[in-house]
Amino acid sequence: MLMIAGVIVSVILFGIGLLGMIFRRDLIIKLLSLGLVNGSVMLCLVSLGSRANGIAPIIRGPENAGYVNPLPQALVLSAIVINFAILALALVFVMLLVEHYHSTDSQRIEHEIKREREL
Amino acid sequence: MRYRRIGLIVYATILVCCFCGLVIAFFSYQEPTRELGAIYLSRAPSETGAANIVSAIYLNYRLYDTLFEILIFSVAVLGVRFYLSDYREIVEKIPESQIVRTSADLFFPPIFLIGIYLTLSGHLSPGGGFSGGVVAGTALLLCAVALGANTVGKRFHEPVLRWLEWGVLLVVLSLPLLPIVVGRLPFTELLPPGTMGKVISGGSIPIYNLLIGIKVFIGTWVIIHYFMRHRGEV
Amino acid sequence: MTIIVLLPLLHFVFAVLCLSWQRGTRGIILAALLIDTILLGVLFAVLDQAGSISITLGGWGRNVGIELVADRTSLVFGFLTLFLEGSILLYLWREHLQPYFFMLLHLLLGAVFSVLFAQDLFNIYVIMELLTLVSFLLVGYGKRPQQIWASLKYLFLASLGMGIYLLGVAVVYYHAGTMNLGLIATQLTEQQDTTWVLLASSLLVTGIAVKAGIFVFSLWLPAAHASASPAVSALLSGLVIKMGVVVLLKLAAIFPLSGSLLVLGSLTGILGIIYAITTYELKYMLAFCTLSQIGYLLIGIGTGSKVALSGTLCYAFAHGLFKGLLFLAAGSAIQATGKKDIRELIMERSNISLITRAALLIGTLGIIGLPPFAGFCGKALLNAGTQSYVTQIVLALLSFGTVVSFARLIPLFRFEGGGYLPRTKSLSFLILALPIVLFFPLTHLFVPAWQWQTSLNISVFIKNLVVIGMGILLARPIANHFPHLEKRFFRLEEAAVVILSGFFLVFLLLLFA
Repeated sequence: MLMIAGVIVSVILFGIGLLGMIFRRDLIIKLLSLGLVNGSVMLCLVSLGSRANGIAPIIRGPENAGYVNPLPQALVLSAIVINFAILALALVFVMLLVEHYHSTDSQRIEHEIKREREL
Repeated sequence: MRYRRIGLIVYATILVCCFCGLVIAFFSYQEPTRELGAIYLSRAPSETGAANIVSAIYLNYRLYDTLFEILIFSVAVLGVRFYLSDYREIVEKIPESQIVRTSADLFFPPIFLIGIYLTLSGHLSPGGGFSGGVVAGTALLLCAVALGANTVGKRFHEPVLRWLEWGVLLVVLSLPLLPIVVGRLPFTELLPPGTMGKVISGGSIPIYNLLIGIKVFIGTWVIIHYFMRHRGEV
Repeated sequence: MTIIVLLPLLHFVFAVLCLSWQRGTRGIILAALLIDTILLGVLFAVLDQAGSISITLGGWGRNVGIELVADRTSLVFGFLTLFLEGSILLYLWREHLQPYFFMLLHLLLGAVFSVLFAQDLFNIYVIMELLTLVSFLLVGYGKRPQQIWASLKYLFLASLGMGIYLLGVAVVYYHAGTMNLGLIATQLTEQQDTTWVLLASSLLVTGIAVKAGIFVFSLWLPAAHASASPAVSALLSGLVIKMGVVVLLKLAAIFPLSGSLLVLGSLTGILGIIYAITTYELKYMLAFCTLSQIGYLLIGIGTGSKVALSGTLCYAFAHGLFKGLLFLAAGSAIQATGKKDIRELIMERSNISLITRAALLIGTLGIIGLPPFAGFCGKALLNAGTQSYVTQIVLALLSFGTVVSFARLIPLFRFEGGGYLPRTKSLSFLILALPIVLFFPLTHLFVPAWQWQTSLNISVFIKNLVVIGMGILLARPIANHFPHLEKRFFRLEEAAVVILSGFFLVFLLLLFA
């Protein structure tokens, strides 16, 4: 039950992030939507491993309590670092673009670049 | 032009809603036939000796993925350094409030200590190199906010930092190749698992945690330093 | 057996050494080239005995650890990497580049080698993200605004694609319980209820297609490959795009993808050609051509027969060689004259050195498919691999379109006058041109002889020559009267919307084909 709820919420968040990337013209908000998209996929991965009355997979004693699936959590650890690296580098590039064009509007930057190409 | 834009909005919204609906509908939520993570939970304590099974997975069974992840992190630090080094530098205003400086004085040692603790006990409780390194890096961020990034940066000898960063990366990349020297296949575990629950246990997992912790700490500090030094204004 | 692990890890070690020892970067890359040659030679010898070798890292077993497999595909692309590495090294010998650039180059090569051996879905995700980041940084190396915007678009769309891919991995893991490709294949045969395969395979294919250069998905490609510096464009177009195709090859072995790959391949081939015919900037035309040539590879994978798969490998090898050569030569030509448009380059051709023009000629002959150069071998195998007439007509149409778009370069090849070219650049062209010319003997290394006997006959020769002749004759009228297509799709928002529509296209194709 928890797993189904987790998957549905994560797909809805994925959709919201996609809509944000498509419709908002500000580059920083596109970056945040990209972060939201990646985060929602991580949420989906982790919720796939959940179970009813599950506890964290840290073994404290010999009994076999209901541990949650540890593999998706290990995958999400890598995905978090990858997400961080992408957002950091994209932010640096956005800073460079803003320095040159003095605006964070993606349509305006595309327009200027098209003009420069035709010159 | 406006009709085009409205058409795009309507089309994209319908598309995204259909996408979400499709994924939710076709996911097939039936229970899997067997317990998915059980194989790790049963094998990991005896084979690796680590109490934290997630650490055992990403530092022992799936170490290859973690190597690439460390490389991605290093590439991010490298990229930030390359692109921001000829950005203009701004002159900072050190905040005049005494509260910030006093609380930085007060909180820096415990936060740094917590970072070291998280790194070293990654195989016993949630933590590990990545989270410990980031926590220690944010301790330095607190200092940088209070004293100014350049002041804190001057306390580190830059070449030592670079050598440490790349040296640690070199060691992490060559450690899995070390068993070749002894005559076994690469990526095999050379150290014994030990008794679970002790600090010195878990094979080579604490070593990897320490190395990753140092690397992530220095990397986080470099990213924070460069962003604080070169942030620009529109 | 440890070679499989050594090849990528040694490149990563060299990458770190590049940064620490700044004066010896050229020595390090020469050493890397030498070690690569030796290791690939040993791998070739080992694979001659056994068909494929595999190693599970750490000795843990396939269901808990990560498995790496080396087979004919990895060997072919390994040799392609070797040729491109050698020629790029020579091309960049005299340029002033920071050690940071060489580190990124080593990381790129190491990541390429890792993809060739990968057998685990999440491993592929992490390696493709490393490839994305490194190529994104390489494209933006010059710090010009055009390059920065092109690489930012690339990063956005590639991350979006990889997010979709990771969703697919989540679906596969939940239902199959493993991410190892071999174990997933056994699960698919054992399980009764396999309705999840539809969603999982469409998500995975959409995610990889963004990086593989399929037209509907990779709308970042023309801007990124055209604004990068010549060596980086050659590497990206010749090598990195193929890695997406390699992953599609691995996925097509376990999921039922053949019909959809055929349709996607034809679509990307035809759309790429249409855009290439109407573009007059040289590097943009080459980039659109790349998009269309990937169509050949997808048609080959989709057909699935042994001859077609050999044809795919053959054509991928050939395409990497001549696209790399074309980009390098185009880069020198543009640097020599300062102009980017084909018509202006033709007017100023006396400034371009003779060797550059000869390199462009060999590249063009290769891509047109003139026998016995490189492209012809691949196209002959692909033609022989498929039995349906529709596929053969599509292949002929793609050939025709390629000839039409490249026939505009013919006035460049009048060999008179010429400028100066440094000797190292001429050597770099030679390294790529020699295998193109001597391709036929080279293919006997990885294509069994019986496949050549079935595919090479007089009709293939005649068909090819007829197509080339018609293309050259009809080039001028077609290029002048061709309808111009929308360039609006290559902007960021529209590209994301098109990727989503492409997902639905793939889903419907998988449902009905």
